[in-house]
Amino acid sequence: MENVLSILFCLSLFYVSISSRVKGYVTVLQLQGLLLSVIIVIPFIYDFSIFGIILPVTLLVVKVFLIPKYIKKIILDLDIKRMIEPTIQQFTFLLLVIVSMVVIFVVSNILSQRTELNVIPFASGFSAIVIGIYIIMFRKKLIVHVAGFLILENGIFLFGTAVASELPMMIELGILLDVFVVVFLMGIALNNISSTLKGFDVTALGRLKD
Amino acid sequence: MEIEILQGIISLLIILGFSPLFAGLINKLKAVLTGRIGAPVWQPYYDLKRLFKKETINATVSSFVSRISPVINFVTVAVAATMLPIGFWKPLISFNGDIILFAYILGLARFIQILAAMDIGSSFEGMGAAREATFALFAEPIFFFTLGSVAFISGLSSIYDIYYSIQLNNISYIVFIVICSISAFLLAVTECSRMPVDDPNTHLELTMIHEVMILDNSGIDLFLYQYSGYIKLFIYAILEISFFYPFSAQSYLVGVMIFVIGSFILALTLATVETITSRFKMKNIPQYLLFATAIGILNLLIYTFTK
Repeated sequence: MENVLSILFCLSLFYVSISSRVKGYVTVLQLQGLLLSVIIVIPFIYDFSIFGIILPVTLLVVKVFLIPKYIKKIILDLDIKRMIEPTIQQFTFLLLVIVSMVVIFVVSNILSQRTELNVIPFASGFSAIVIGIYIIMFRKKLIVHVAGFLILENGIFLFGTAVASELPMMIELGILLDVFVVVFLMGIALNNISSTLKGFDVTALGRLKD
Repeated sequence: MEIEILQGIISLLIILGFSPLFAGLINKLKAVLTGRIGAPVWQPYYDLKRLFKKETINATVSSFVSRISPVINFVTVAVAATMLPIGFWKPLISFNGDIILFAYILGLARFIQILAAMDIGSSFEGMGAAREATFALFAEPIFFFTLGSVAFISGLSSIYDIYYSIQLNNISYIVFIVICSISAFLLAVTECSRMPVDDPNTHLELTMIHEVMILDNSGIDLFLYQYSGYIKLFIYAILEISFFYPFSAQSYLVGVMIFVIGSFILALTLATVETITSRFKMKNIPQYLLFATAIGILNLLIYTFTK
């Protein structure tokens, strides 16, 4: 079951690499949040405890409702254009993603022969980390960078579930809070940038002088 | 042995006979979904009958390639149709490795059609041929990564055996098959020039891919092209539906019922997709096809490494 959800996670990564609208990114973030919370909740179906259910519920609230809603609000408030403005062609980007994913799967398969790990969630999480970095590298818009960062974070989360079956919950909750604060700060920063400069391209930031 | 041959012939006749009906069904459902009454489901048959009666006119500059192309096109597509199972009957042609023959015999049909399109000497046909060749290049890996991955996992290489080996009892295998079928659906959409890739209804030359190649054909030539187009659509529909046969049921009646229901659901899906999407920009089509290939690659990776 975990494998199936990880496959869906990978498919969402493919979708995000060909989507050319900011809205698509937000939808994918919501979907990934949902998948992650379901993946975490699976062990608790057999072994129910109130304490263990806190993390999935928090994850669901933060990743599916709060963050996407906040990003949508920023998009509306600051009147950001809907296209993502890639620096390389989408086709090349997808090709890059496929090649990296193949390499990652092969590498994780080699790793799994040495140590105990669940190959599919491990490789999916790993790919999400790499693709998150690619998104930050090859897109101009700041708001898309935020989405890329969140995808990277989702990847780390999935990665964590694959390596250690039982996560230390406090740490995960801490990370979640961190992420939320980062997104929040990014929103404030965007607001300030928009009041100083027109547009949100990172290329514009290169021209700043003191 | 003789019974098997007879069953194979009946399967072939079913494909040849009902393929226009399937196309008509899609058009009818599409019309209903967009709030029109639409042409009757038998309309493709009337069209074929009308074309059959008309006189054939060839362009004066065209050579023998344009004359033989429709026939070769029809025959190759019909041969490809003999390799597919209907119900649980063994197809007429079935041997180890026929998956390759299936792919490349359809490739031959396309090749000869592209040649014929360029033979006429019109710039529009040449443009259509170039597009068809480009998109075929991206569509072929989809076929090999979807059907090929099922073949790779089962260790078999005949289409009938591959489909026969599908067992829908393991959850990861079901997901594998469902993802395969998504990718096969995208393949069918591309190969049969349906909506997100090509618009079968438009007659504006600049936006067409497949239709523009047969603009200068008429009469019996056009009849053969249209008919092989319908058969091709039905072939890809069968490729798609066959993923969901419960082959362990082993009853012909059940098989045929699932086939009919499956065709209807597929027609509805195609009609829905055509209703809710618009045609892509030409430059976006390769990335759409690469997306389907990516799904196939992911599928292969995942199943290889979980075993």
